[in-house]
Amino acid sequence: MNTGHDPKLMALFEEAEAEFGDTAFAEDIMRVIDGQRRKTMLVWSAAMLVGIACLSLVASPVVTALGMATELLPTSLVSIESDWLQKLLAPINSIAAALALGILAIRKFIRRIFD
Amino acid sequence: MRYSKDLLAKSPESVLVGLSRAGNRSAFAELVTRRQTWIRNLMRRCCGDSTLADDLSQQVFMQAWRSIRQLHDAERLGPWLKRLAINMWLQYKRRNDPLRAADEHTDTNTSHQDQTSVGMDLDRALATLADEARLCIVLSYHERMTHAEIESLTGLPLGTIKSHIRRGTKKLQEELSAYAETAEEMK
Repeated sequence: MNTGHDPKLMALFEEAEAEFGDTAFAEDIMRVIDGQRRKTMLVWSAAMLVGIACLSLVASPVVTALGMATELLPTSLVSIESDWLQKLLAPINSIAAALALGILAIRKFIRRIFD
Repeated sequence: MRYSKDLLAKSPESVLVGLSRAGNRSAFAELVTRRQTWIRNLMRRCCGDSTLADDLSQQVFMQAWRSIRQLHDAERLGPWLKRLAINMWLQYKRRNDPLRAADEHTDTNTSHQDQTSVGMDLDRALATLADEARLCIVLSYHERMTHAEIESLTGLPLGTIKSHIRRGTKKLQEELSAYAETAEEMK
């Protein structure tokens, strides 16, 4: 509960209230909001155009890199003569597996340092 | 979907909040029209400058439009708007350090468009208080908030709030003594 409220001051605060019944203030706000929305859409459109342009520029090298990765990643680290054993161990005996293990180790190391 | 202005004007606030959350601009404009008197007066009492108060009120409503989806309970629109308004005012005070503000607003203290003479005198009296004390007084007298509510809104310690309100009331009584005397004479 509040104590020490002066009723005369309370009455003055009430008397000082100005009445704003017009719609101009709301219209101004909606105009600014619309302007901001248009600006945001313009920025997004420009960013998308730049993104599409960048993608079209890097599309070819990216496809080449992906092709190389697809060929390189399944390569066995240790050659095994037995065909079925090589297929069985492929998930752990490949460059992809080594990379995955490396990433997991780095992640664990970073977490140990920063947590 | 478009709704007529008349229909929106008759709709309860909870419906307008729901429509605004769904992105209906007309519903939000109706909410602004309904709540503008309260927010603009609150900001006027906080900053004592009607132009600045209207600018800040505009920013409050724009912030409200951007984040209205976070308002899950339509019945809480009032307290939510009040929090936005007070945060906006506190942010403004933080951005504008007292020295720079004094420099910039030397003339703005006389900016009292649409103000009643009581309003102007009250703002002049409020201007004699320190920022924190003024905010506590405005929240207590204008918003009729309890000390605990002011504490939760501003983060100020309860003891400080009580002391600000006690001293602020005394100071305002001195500054506005002419009104008290007139009231006595009228009796």
